[in-house]
Amino acid sequence: MTTDEATKPEGEVQAAALAERGEDITPAQDRGVLKIIKRPGNDDESPMIGDKVYVHYKGKLANGKKFDSSRDRNEPFVFSLGKGQVIKAWDIGVATMKKGEVCYLLCKPEYAYGAAGSAPKIPSNATLFFEVELLDFKGEDLFEDGGIIRRIKRKGEGYSNPNEGATVEIHLEGFCGGTRFDCKDVKFVVGEGEDHDIPIGIDKALEKMQRGEHCVLYLGPRYGFGEAGKPKYGIQANAELVYEVTLKNFEKAKESWEMDTKEKLEQAAIVKEKGTMYFKEGKYLQAVIQYGKIVSWLEMEYGLSEKESKASDSFLLAAFLNLAMCYLKLREYTKAVECCDKKVLEVNPQNKAARSQISVCQKKTKEHNERDRRIYANMFTKFAERDAKEAASKTGVEKEAEKATCAQGLETAGAGGKEAEGHV
Amino acid sequence: MPEEQSQTTMAVDELQAIIQRCQILEESDFRGEDFNLFQVAGQKCLEDGYAAQLLEVIQNEKNKVIIKNMGWNLISPLVRCILAYKQEDDKQEHCLKILDQLVQLCNPKELFLGLLEQIEQTSGEQVCPTVMLLLQPLQTVLLKLQNKKAYSVGLSLAMIMNQLTPLPVPYTKQQIQEDKLGLCRCCNAVVDFAKPFVNEVVKNMEKSSEYNNMELKEELLKFCMKSLKYPLLTAQLEQLEGIEEHPFRHFATEIIDILQDIRELMPLVFLHHKGRRSYWENQEFEDIERKNSADSLACLSYLMFVQHFGINCFPMVFSPSYLLQCNMTHIEVLLNRTEESMLSKGLDLFESCLLRMEDNSLSHQYLEFRDFINVPQDLVKVMTLCPIEHLRKKSLNMLQLFIDKFDAEGKYTLFRCLLKTSNHAGVQGYIIQKIKDQIHLSLTKAHDNVWFTGHHLISLLDLVLFLPEGAETDLLQNSDRIMASLNLLRYLVIKDCESDNQTGVWTILAKIEKNFLKPLHVGLNMSKAHYEAEIKNKKENRREANKSNTVCSLTVSEEKMPAMTTEMQLQVLHSALFTFDLIESVLARVEELIEVKVKAVMAENI
Repeated sequence: MTTDEATKPEGEVQAAALAERGEDITPAQDRGVLKIIKRPGNDDESPMIGDKVYVHYKGKLANGKKFDSSRDRNEPFVFSLGKGQVIKAWDIGVATMKKGEVCYLLCKPEYAYGAAGSAPKIPSNATLFFEVELLDFKGEDLFEDGGIIRRIKRKGEGYSNPNEGATVEIHLEGFCGGTRFDCKDVKFVVGEGEDHDIPIGIDKALEKMQRGEHCVLYLGPRYGFGEAGKPKYGIQANAELVYEVTLKNFEKAKESWEMDTKEKLEQAAIVKEKGTMYFKEGKYLQAVIQYGKIVSWLEMEYGLSEKESKASDSFLLAAFLNLAMCYLKLREYTKAVECCDKKVLEVNPQNKAARSQISVCQKKTKEHNERDRRIYANMFTKFAERDAKEAASKTGVEKEAEKATCAQGLETAGAGGKEAEGHV
Repeated sequence: MPEEQSQTTMAVDELQAIIQRCQILEESDFRGEDFNLFQVAGQKCLEDGYAAQLLEVIQNEKNKVIIKNMGWNLISPLVRCILAYKQEDDKQEHCLKILDQLVQLCNPKELFLGLLEQIEQTSGEQVCPTVMLLLQPLQTVLLKLQNKKAYSVGLSLAMIMNQLTPLPVPYTKQQIQEDKLGLCRCCNAVVDFAKPFVNEVVKNMEKSSEYNNMELKEELLKFCMKSLKYPLLTAQLEQLEGIEEHPFRHFATEIIDILQDIRELMPLVFLHHKGRRSYWENQEFEDIERKNSADSLACLSYLMFVQHFGINCFPMVFSPSYLLQCNMTHIEVLLNRTEESMLSKGLDLFESCLLRMEDNSLSHQYLEFRDFINVPQDLVKVMTLCPIEHLRKKSLNMLQLFIDKFDAEGKYTLFRCLLKTSNHAGVQGYIIQKIKDQIHLSLTKAHDNVWFTGHHLISLLDLVLFLPEGAETDLLQNSDRIMASLNLLRYLVIKDCESDNQTGVWTILAKIEKNFLKPLHVGLNMSKAHYEAEIKNKKENRREANKSNTVCSLTVSEEKMPAMTTEMQLQVLHSALFTFDLIESVLARVEELIEVKVKAVMAENI
């Protein structure tokens, strides 16, 4: 209500007032974005970069014509702050606001839609006037599953992120229940943090960080040390962790299209070994990363010589099989089935019979799993029973599938190794 | 004649007989046999043209209970008759009245199934007339249904859309105006059919935010998604001159209005980064749904950003680069199709996103998104493989526009990628020309540009200044690429003095000579000798060859090309020789320039 009264009759007056005594909030101090606080916030906290922010706003052109309002849609507008999702003026402006604050922003075209405008509503070179109310904000949920929440303390440079396989140099401090258990400078390959007692969540989060970024990461158990905990640091099973990480530097791994076939095949042999090592240690998420690399490098490769394509196929077959096995362990059955399907249809059609068997097993496990979940949904007393039952029923089917996969995996692993050696 | 008369009255008599027998029975005492007799007799009346008499029977207050229970059995013959009679035939009029009566009187549950069955059984040309005929009755029945209403509405809509889907979508203006199969009219009728249910959802949403009638809403959402995929994705949606109310544009507006009314429009547009609320208990269904929805979402984006349908409720604060990023997935989906309607939608959507951006404003980091690397490669595919000329041209324009939007590093990466991935000499030649333009900008602009000078450029030149297969490279096929490379090299040696060596070309001169110029010389000599020999051969054999012994035939898109005469063959061979001469002359010029410059420097040094 408060926001409505003020803007109705005197929109232009406000624009004039802004131009006259608005505060220049641009880093360049070029008067590109001017701000007046209409109602101060009730909280001293401002959102951090990357935070999910909730606002209500109203936008007008210089002639006073309203072009947009979130109130008309009856829904707050949500975006990630400081990520270039919105016009520059907003990334700058909203970052200065406190929770509950209402402010006016006057934005030059260079900080809005520029000479190009935005058809059909914003003409070329338009100065925009906004009234914005910051309703709420919260840390960025990196994978939309609540497992990793990030709050950025200092923004990194550019947009470039380390990819899987990139070499990173970071400083990290790990906390659990308020106690610091780790503090070090370390250099490692993304996806292989486990080698330095760094949980998978850090690897995953690094792929979304930029050079120089300093952030706090809140890790759920799945992205932390999981059920196993970390005795070395005295961390119990399923503990929540907080890490403070600075990405000092990194060197990207080559993208698939930057590598030639020979390089891909050489690398495939290396990462397969690594994947198998992780698998044996029960580090399935890490193993998935390694096997996944083989798929991303070789799946779409064409124009191979006969020898190369044989080697490539055996790598792919092993990768898909092992991936399926990892997903089984991780209880991601759809993905497991997908791997089998791909493997059967694309790489080795002759393998069909054996593969479809596995698919069937997996589907069954999955269905069973889901039926159980439905039956016992919301029945806390039966939770324990359900878990026991699920485990019992699964291990039967799973083990069978696994046996088959293992045999196959080992077999092709041997063949793959030979092929690769032959190639080198 | 009298015999015939007696036969037909027999049909009415039979019906009267069964009716009279049932009139005295209780509802629960009707037997299966009665149903059969009623159906057979009723059907016979209809087939023999006694609709008026049948109507009388049905309208008779005393028969209400019988009709309530058995009436739905008449739907099938009734529909057949209505569609068979000409319009404004009295008999059709009677049949329509019968249908009306049945809708009023019959048990909704059974009638619903009866109507649905009719829609299910129709095919081909009959689909649209049948659907149009039954929509109104179906709507009335559904509104009467007590149980499983949402499910039934969903089932009806799904059934109707499934029946329509095999029909060809009118594409040209003429086809749309003609609307031969009635699809245009039918689609809009289906929307009207859905409206009361939309209103119901809206009303429920207003009542409370907790109780949202999720089921019905979900069914309507599915219908909208389906409509976006068919017919809208296949339809021509540009405004057409001379058609006031473009039926598919109208349909599209209505679909978007429904989405907006049930508050699903924004969640759909931002589906991929909002994390979809799970409608499905079963994860598997959700995965399938997601795959199926890619086409529908692409169409939705096209409607919003190109045709501006529903743009009024779209937040006007997003940055242009973010909009491009969001739309890239959709553009990729569309460009991977081969149909004109979809390719052109993809190109239009891409254009609309790019036009919102200023040149050089897009950071190279965007190339880390897979779609940003894939889409230009898809454009190249359209440019080189699509049989439709205006799409090829537009693709090239879009590639140009896309390149323009990137910063220098982005352009650089894009060039590298396209040089490596496009197996087409024409495209490679084009890219090389673009590289030359960028070098020119870097050398002439005041602020220097690290990406198109020095060591970055050298590594790019490595990809340009060589022959893919050394001296054995097919020079004719690669002529576009080779000419562009030579032009670039000529530009470099003229523009960049050896003393400055801003581009670094002088550093790698030896390598260029070894990988490019030398093999090119050898290749030219070999090719020329080969083609000259061939010409000589042809000329000598000219008289004998007149016997026309075609060695092989050539077909282009299943059309057999006429056999080449010796004259034509000679012409082709000569034009090849001409190309070689052209290459040779530019090559000579380049070598001359290099020699002069190298000598000049040597003289200076002495």
